[in-house]
Amino acid sequence: MGRKIIRRINLAVVLIILTIITLAVHYPIVYIISAAFSPGNSIASLNILPFGDGFTVKHFVHLFTKTDYLIWFKNTLIIAASTSVLTMLVASLGAYVFSRFRFTFKRTLMLSMLILQIFPSFVGMIAIYVILQRIGGFNQLWGLVLVYLAGNIPYNTWLVKSYMDTIPKSLDESARIDGANHFKIYRKIVMPVARPIITFLGITSFTAPWMDFIFPKMVLRSADKMTLALGLFNFVTDKKNEFTNFAAGSLLIAVPFIIFFVITQKTMVTSFGSAAVKE
Amino acid sequence: MGLRIKDDGSSRSRILVSSLLFMGLGHILYLKQYLKGILYALYEIIFLLLLPGIISKLRGMVTLGDPKPDLPVKLRDHSIFMLIDGVAVLALIFLFIAVYAISVRSALNEYRDYTIEKRFKSSKESMSRLMGKAFPIFGLVPTVGLILFFVVVPLVFSASVAFTNYSSPAHIPPNNTVDWVGFDNFTAMFGGEAIWTKALGRVALWTLCWAVLATFTCYFGGMIMAVVLIDNKIKIAPVFRSLFILPYAIPTVVSMLVWQNLLNGSFGTVNRTLMKLGLISTPIPWLSNAWLAKFTVVLINLWAGFPYFMLLITGTMTAISKDVFEAAKIDGASRFQLFRTITLPLVLYQTTPLIIMSFTHNINNFGAIFFLTGGDPVVADSTTTTAGGTDILVSWIYKLTVNLLKYNYASVLAIMIFIILAPFAIFQFRRTKSYKEGEL
Repeated sequence: MGRKIIRRINLAVVLIILTIITLAVHYPIVYIISAAFSPGNSIASLNILPFGDGFTVKHFVHLFTKTDYLIWFKNTLIIAASTSVLTMLVASLGAYVFSRFRFTFKRTLMLSMLILQIFPSFVGMIAIYVILQRIGGFNQLWGLVLVYLAGNIPYNTWLVKSYMDTIPKSLDESARIDGANHFKIYRKIVMPVARPIITFLGITSFTAPWMDFIFPKMVLRSADKMTLALGLFNFVTDKKNEFTNFAAGSLLIAVPFIIFFVITQKTMVTSFGSAAVKE
Repeated sequence: MGLRIKDDGSSRSRILVSSLLFMGLGHILYLKQYLKGILYALYEIIFLLLLPGIISKLRGMVTLGDPKPDLPVKLRDHSIFMLIDGVAVLALIFLFIAVYAISVRSALNEYRDYTIEKRFKSSKESMSRLMGKAFPIFGLVPTVGLILFFVVVPLVFSASVAFTNYSSPAHIPPNNTVDWVGFDNFTAMFGGEAIWTKALGRVALWTLCWAVLATFTCYFGGMIMAVVLIDNKIKIAPVFRSLFILPYAIPTVVSMLVWQNLLNGSFGTVNRTLMKLGLISTPIPWLSNAWLAKFTVVLINLWAGFPYFMLLITGTMTAISKDVFEAAKIDGASRFQLFRTITLPLVLYQTTPLIIMSFTHNINNFGAIFFLTGGDPVVADSTTTTAGGTDILVSWIYKLTVNLLKYNYASVLAIMIFIILAPFAIFQFRRTKSYKEGEL
């Protein structure tokens, strides 16, 4: 009897604490949603209670009519999608070769990739800036894609290679006896089996450039090449504080992001975990 | 055509010498592999034709140009272009040497096959082998090319800049040239110039503290939530779990900029709320007091980072076999003992690599610092060094290059990051399956 009551109280306390944490965790999220629909401009003018100022969609209208939001969105989508597709292609091709062939300098190449992946790629920022100017990729979306792609390759080739190593080689050998060439084996046999890791790669290499700030800031200079991160950042710089416009713009990109994340989180985390733990 | 060679292995040195003499020569003279030999030879001929250009680029890299103040800006020597061209040319030379080595090794392998089989491969055989080799080459060209010119060349360039005086105001091309200065930047940063030395010590120390604190708080925050939600037989635990994931799903730029506004000292919502509630009478300087700002960034990072570890640890815990717990319970272990002796060690063991990955990620966590505080608040040396109270090495690098144009000092910092991270990279490397199985 007594133990049961204690357990009940225990549970109640835990639930209360959890609720408080939930509120704390969601406080900024709720506030940004309310800010997106509030009249007024800067955060100083907003009511401290969410949704305390009334309701308006004028910030969304403002985004689509007065700013280049759609252009930013298009640019960001192009960059993220191309980076994702190219990363999947180049990394899987490289990983297949590393996993299935023996060749001179294989060891050296793999070792150098492992060492290279520890550097944050913007350590070489000035050099990338100059190289892009040299090859005409400065202030071009493709220049940025190239930078992301190169930065993605060392780590991801390793990741995919480790996965492909677990695919039995007897599969390819039987296909080779049937007369399939390497390209066919890569496309028809190894790629379908390696789909989980390739999907994972596609998702991570899409989301990283989607909200990156440093490289777009450095590479893209003209207004028609801006990305979402740059545009949103400019709403809340020191010069102006258009917090409500910022909130509206962020909400529009965060919602699909969250929906997508909730759908894929289970696979994401297990892949994350297993990729790192099992290696 | 084709000189005769013996099949008992005694002609090995002749093959070696001829292959070393000119690329592909061994293939053509002795091994009757004309197509392969000609391809190799062609490669060397192209390289030799480019040699004058290569040498002039290398010379440019050594001199970095001469100041020619009387010429119009466009015609002056651009030291930085010269340096980067030099590094790129070095990469090309490196590539050439690698292919040279491959060609020699290929000739020796062919000869070994000949000594075993006592006959040359027919042209059909060698063609099909060449085609078989075409695939790995085709597969690796994009990887090697991209890594070489967009990862290695930039890194070597960055490292080189640390040994030049590439900085504002006196050494910014194209108006002025840049010169090699040896270790001057290092001596300036490590003791030479008091203000920079002090700033470097402060920022490096804070970077380490930040990385440890950020990792530690997120890991144990996540673990507590995972344990509470698994342990207490709460029926709606999955609901809480999904609710807690939300911060992780929001892009860092967005969430950190929102927090920056919420925590603003004068007009931020947090302070205004606390004052309305009567809890405080003067605004709390969340982001403008150097010590409080440090505390705030760690706290906000916990907000953003605990969901990841919560999910991960939940996953690890559900994978622990139930039998272990049952056996321990029969022995009369309390819930706390179960956690301390079974769950905690197992989870820690399983997730150690991820803790280390998270630590290295936090050392480079530009977003969490830059978008929340911008590296501010200003401290004593900030006007000269631009390093604020919460700046970590990477955000300082950003400021040095973008605001101050002190590329030389930024490169010194980049090298420091490398030195900090290298041991972790080695650790990660030794953990990989390929290393353990002796493949590497």
